Amino acid sequence: MLHEFTYGAPVTREDLFKLLDDHGSEAKILAGGTDLLVNIRNGIMKPAVVVDVKKIPRYRDISYSVQEGLVIRPAVTINDILRNHEIQENYPLLQECGHDLASYQIRNRATAIGNVVNASPCSDMAPALLCLGAQAVIASSNGTRTLPFSGFFTGVKKTVLQTGEVLEAIAIPASARGAKGAYKKLKRINGHDLGIVGVAVSIKDDILRIAVSSAAPTPVVTPDLPADIPAEDAVAATMNIISPISDVRCSKEYREFMVGVFVRRLLAEVRK
Amino acid sequence: MTISLKVNGKPIKVACNPGDVLTDVLRNAGFVEVKKGCGTGNCGICTVLLDGVPVPSCSLIAGRADGHEITTIRGVEAEAKEFADFLVAEGADQCGFCSPGFTLNVLAMKKELKSPSVDEIKHYMAGNLCRCTGYEGQLRAVVKYLEAQHE
Repeated sequence: MLHEFTYGAPVTREDLFKLLDDHGSEAKILAGGTDLLVNIRNGIMKPAVVVDVKKIPRYRDISYSVQEGLVIRPAVTINDILRNHEIQENYPLLQECGHDLASYQIRNRATAIGNVVNASPCSDMAPALLCLGAQAVIASSNGTRTLPFSGFFTGVKKTVLQTGEVLEAIAIPASARGAKGAYKKLKRINGHDLGIVGVAVSIKDDILRIAVSSAAPTPVVTPDLPADIPAEDAVAATMNIISPISDVRCSKEYREFMVGVFVRRLLAEVRK
Repeated sequence: MTISLKVNGKPIKVACNPGDVLTDVLRNAGFVEVKKGCGTGNCGICTVLLDGVPVPSCSLIAGRADGHEITTIRGVEAEAKEFADFLVAEGADQCGFCSPGFTLNVLAMKKELKSPSVDEIKHYMAGNLCRCTGYEGQLRAVVKYLEAQHE
């Protein structure tokens, strides 16, 4: 057994908010479970109540419209995203990033929302969301608030989410539709692994954005850059936003060097 | 709590704690063909099919599996036996501890992808670690097995 807890599986969002309000910080939300269960097993988290959000029917939705853009709900798995044709057509960068997340079996369980709420600096989905200007829709019994993902992460494994709040949707604006994008992730092995660094680039309507994971306490994104910016200026703009550390996976200098390499390669790729 | 599962087509009820993971629930109920590996979702050894979809059973708490259909390697015995012959022919069986999870993922891939390329096979199978074979033998076995299916 992992650790003693009660399991709650609400089927409506009202019941979900009630459970979260009743148990406060004792409650932890279970989406895919691929991070939470590892944290519980390692004793990092000891929730008294585990609240499953996958049983709420509308939380399984991916909705897309030309006017509103794309909305991804909490129970949408990475493989759901990879199989969605509208995402493939309109937001290919999301699939590029999802493709590199863990392994096939994990992608069947893991969710995009869980990946960003976990707020690991090496999140694979965050670079795509940052490049595409996605919004975080946060809900609780007190109502709903929306903020851009560039303001969502506050530190290593920390976000703006307060006790009782749920990241209820990732909203990707219609304006990012058709953005060209590419993602590269450096790993220790060819198989699935945590990233050493990850870089995503997107170009839409003369605006270039570069987002980086594993190179700062949170995933980070550059300000909007002109699409025709010289590669070396783009590298310099990226260096301004990262602050990598040396750790068990590699040194700070190697991370910086490889971010530069990836920015140059990705730019060449998206400008083809 | 008591949960109802359908394992390899047979309905069962098992008593468990909400914090038990599916690997342990299945093993305690006698399905010891489900092997325990890393317990963190990384190695793929504990893979079972949940409603036909491969998932790491170590990352699924028991309550979530309630009411669902689970397939272990014993539930696909004939197909597994056929694939095992290909593993043996390539010298890719060795200790065999990863084989149940590996085989289930291969069978799921066979259903999902029509004729996967070598790169697609590698990507699909990246979550099944093997410490014996160095993967090349396994890869040959998968390629030959899939080719044989089309003949």
